[in-house]
Amino acid sequence: MENLLEIKNLSVSIGTGSGKVEAVRDVSLTLHPGEVLAIVGESGCGKSMLCKSILKLLPRNAVIESGSILANGVDITKYRERDMAKLRGKLFSMVFQDPMTALDPTMTVGSQIAEAVITHNPKLPKAKVYERVIELMELVGIQQPEQRYKLYPYNFSGGMRQRSVMAIALAANPQILLADEPTTALDVTIQAQILDLLKDIQKKLNTATILVSHDLGVVARAADRVAIMYAGRIVEIGTAEEIYYDPRHPYTWGLMRSLPALAKGKRELYTIPGMPPSLIDPPKGDAFACRNEYALAIDYEQAPPMFRITDTHYAATWLLDPRAPKIERPVGGSVHG
Amino acid sequence: MTIKRNRAAYYGKKLLIFLVSVILLSMTVFVISRLTPTDPLQAYYGERTEKMSVEEKEWARNKLGLNDPIPTQYIRWAQNALKGEFGISYKYKQDVVQVIAKRMNNTLILGGIGFVLTFAGSLLLGILCAWFEDSWLDKLLCKLGTIVSCIPEFWFSLVLILIFCVQLKWLPSSGAYSVGKADDLMDRIIHLILPMIVVIIEHLWYYAYMIRNKILEEVRADYVLLCKSKGLSKRQIMFRHCLRNILPTYISLMAISVPHIIGGTYIVETVFSYPGIGTLSYESARYADYNMLMILCMMTGITVIFFNIIGQIINERIDPRVKANEVVETSEVSEG
Amino acid sequence: MDNAIVTVKNLTHRFRLSKKAVIKAVDDVSFTIQKGEIFGLVGESGSGKSTVARCIMNIYQPTAGEILFHDVNTCDKTAFRQNRKLLQTARQLIFQDSASSLNQRMKVADIIAEPMKINHITPPRGSYREEAAFQLRYVGMDENYLDKYPSEMSGGQRQRVAIARALSMEPELLVADEPIASLDVSIQAQIVNLFKHLQKEHGFSILFIAHDLAMVEYLCDRIGVMYRGKLVELAETAELFAHPLHPYTQMLLSAIPYPDPIRERNRPRMNTEDMIFDTEGTFREIRPNHFVLTKEAAL
Repeated sequence: MENLLEIKNLSVSIGTGSGKVEAVRDVSLTLHPGEVLAIVGESGCGKSMLCKSILKLLPRNAVIESGSILANGVDITKYRERDMAKLRGKLFSMVFQDPMTALDPTMTVGSQIAEAVITHNPKLPKAKVYERVIELMELVGIQQPEQRYKLYPYNFSGGMRQRSVMAIALAANPQILLADEPTTALDVTIQAQILDLLKDIQKKLNTATILVSHDLGVVARAADRVAIMYAGRIVEIGTAEEIYYDPRHPYTWGLMRSLPALAKGKRELYTIPGMPPSLIDPPKGDAFACRNEYALAIDYEQAPPMFRITDTHYAATWLLDPRAPKIERPVGGSVHG
Repeated sequence: MTIKRNRAAYYGKKLLIFLVSVILLSMTVFVISRLTPTDPLQAYYGERTEKMSVEEKEWARNKLGLNDPIPTQYIRWAQNALKGEFGISYKYKQDVVQVIAKRMNNTLILGGIGFVLTFAGSLLLGILCAWFEDSWLDKLLCKLGTIVSCIPEFWFSLVLILIFCVQLKWLPSSGAYSVGKADDLMDRIIHLILPMIVVIIEHLWYYAYMIRNKILEEVRADYVLLCKSKGLSKRQIMFRHCLRNILPTYISLMAISVPHIIGGTYIVETVFSYPGIGTLSYESARYADYNMLMILCMMTGITVIFFNIIGQIINERIDPRVKANEVVETSEVSEG
Repeated sequence: MDNAIVTVKNLTHRFRLSKKAVIKAVDDVSFTIQKGEIFGLVGESGSGKSTVARCIMNIYQPTAGEILFHDVNTCDKTAFRQNRKLLQTARQLIFQDSASSLNQRMKVADIIAEPMKINHITPPRGSYREEAAFQLRYVGMDENYLDKYPSEMSGGQRQRVAIARALSMEPELLVADEPIASLDVSIQAQIVNLFKHLQKEHGFSILFIAHDLAMVEYLCDRIGVMYRGKLVELAETAELFAHPLHPYTQMLLSAIPYPDPIRERNRPRMNTEDMIFDTEGTFREIRPNHFVLTKEAAL
């Protein structure tokens, strides 16, 4: 029972007109109770697919090719839609990127939250349901819940809607909350508040959270552990301190260096050269090799395994092989502040 | 207050469009009907026309006012029409309104029940196909539907008559009731079966397909993902959320479909010699029964225009942009 | 101040929803954009920053106030008509969502050449295609993309095409409305670098609209902060970041996330959702070249 969620060698592919996109490739991951795990990567790296495959909310043309997902030690990979419906909301639930479209426009926010409450507790009397909805709305920081209960989504601001979505997600006290870019569509000032809310909820309810984002800067506030994803694989994983202060993968370096906050006084922002590879026919070896200024010959031949740095910190780059040449790291070590 | 005035202007504009359309329609129908080569005397005097001399014919024409220039005839007709007098039918020698009144019920029964069943059926079919999207059932229904909706109504009717009336002799091939059984409900129902089947089958698929696609659009919406992630079952999502969201589209579809289904009903009536407005229209055009033709065309046209405008209004009302504006309005008010 | 390319004077724009409800999207905003300057306009969604851009580009007709492009009052219909050609070529606009602002059915070559064709400009490099290829290389893409459709490219590439299209008119002013908001962080950096690069080479002015202060700090020379239709603060970048005076600016700056977990976790939290800042007062120069909307004469 140590691991709440255990993903083993998961591969997910999407069938498209031009071929099979290998969206998630051989990903292994564990989630511990009560932690916030951030998954960071560029768009198209498979982070969103990974999330959706856990809840089996994959689009129709996507399939889990291989690997397994264990929740509380039970293999749910082969679960059918009906069994999944029982787990969703109770074991895990999800918060989506765009709060503008995630709510049913024709139903009041209150009744949408109430619906989530009733689904997992059908015998609850009406008054109790109402009480619970108000309680949830207060939990996620919606002021004047009694008045806002009867409002429709379009009466709410973006931040309020995202809070409502979180209330819905939390209605049945899930053990795992998956948040897919929950702040991307929101204003900067609201972003921080939604992240604080995620952190609060994790503390209050001991909910484990998977937080997906494309921005290393944004997740620093909330993440306990960080996984960096590139071209369908996890290339580096470690505690937040390890990733931010001691990154080991060249891609993580690239992501860090391209953040404008770290480019103060520099004439040019650092950019990672090139573009992510197409995942329809992913390159042999390390997918990042062709954009990597530190690439070794072997990177083009063979995909690197996960090298252990500490018990919590792993990275998939041949630079960590004992035989690799020693290089001077462009970031890390000095960022402490 | 101002909003009320805006709304009045909006509906006023719609009403104006309606009136202009109706007037234009009446002129067009009037002129076209006079340009057809049929002889209206044929309708009035029947076989006797052949025995009439040229002078007699001329006298009859004068009596019926057929020799005046078309604009004069039109103005006379319009003046009378405004007074509620639509003239007599040349063929039935009765006030046209009386003739139509007798037939109206038949058409309303056929078209009305057909309309209701078409929409109930297409909603069910649409849900069924969307539910089993891409399964063999969905594919089969889609293919079958496409084929069926390509079959012309008159041909399909004839095939049904051949099978059920001529070969099997199970059902009557024409009329609304057997002779002397006008009040027999069962008899009427039996006569309705075949025309009704044609009306429904011909229109069912067209709307079912639209509803299916609209539901599938909803099923792919983001809020469905949230509903799923909160643990709702497929059934709950479909009936509580998706159907609710397609409701406005469904209603406007119904409004727009009225003219479509009326057209279908008329053809079916003619083929089955079902004594309704459709058959009457066909006859009146064939025998140049001008007064009858005018009022029937006007009635049908007004219905079509009316429901088109209703459909338009519904569409404009459910336009998301209209809604969005109202939102800002309320938020402004609450802030102020 | 003689070098101003755009002068916005007391610009007000109201959206009339009905006779009853009026939204003041932009309320009495004044600023200038100098020649060769990158001017940043920041604020949350709904603060009116995009409306300002659209008024400058003559997409909206302002309710009150005037906008001068050089000496031409663009809000004046006769003046606009007389200088139509200048105004349509010398000012170019780049949108946030290039996926929808580029015609999906046109190839890249045609997209880039279209404004030249419309304005009857003979391509300086021979054919339209040559010209398109040149502009494409200029924004860092190769000719292979000339025959692609927007849907075949990534967001960053589409944004580059949109920039190439704008550059083909050799504009004096580039208005970029949240050009990087929908891109990944590393791609954002590429596009921002590109803007900086191009500006240096061409010397045009850029009005850069964004909600991400971190990128704006890096790119812009001067920054205006908008809040609820008002320009609340205006200063040079370094000055603004060193001495933010308006409480809203202070809050915006403190909200910039920093990739440092320990620092982030210790940062005080705030609750702005129901916070409303004062938008009363007059626009005063509190420090040299640093303007703030304030009631008191000194802060």
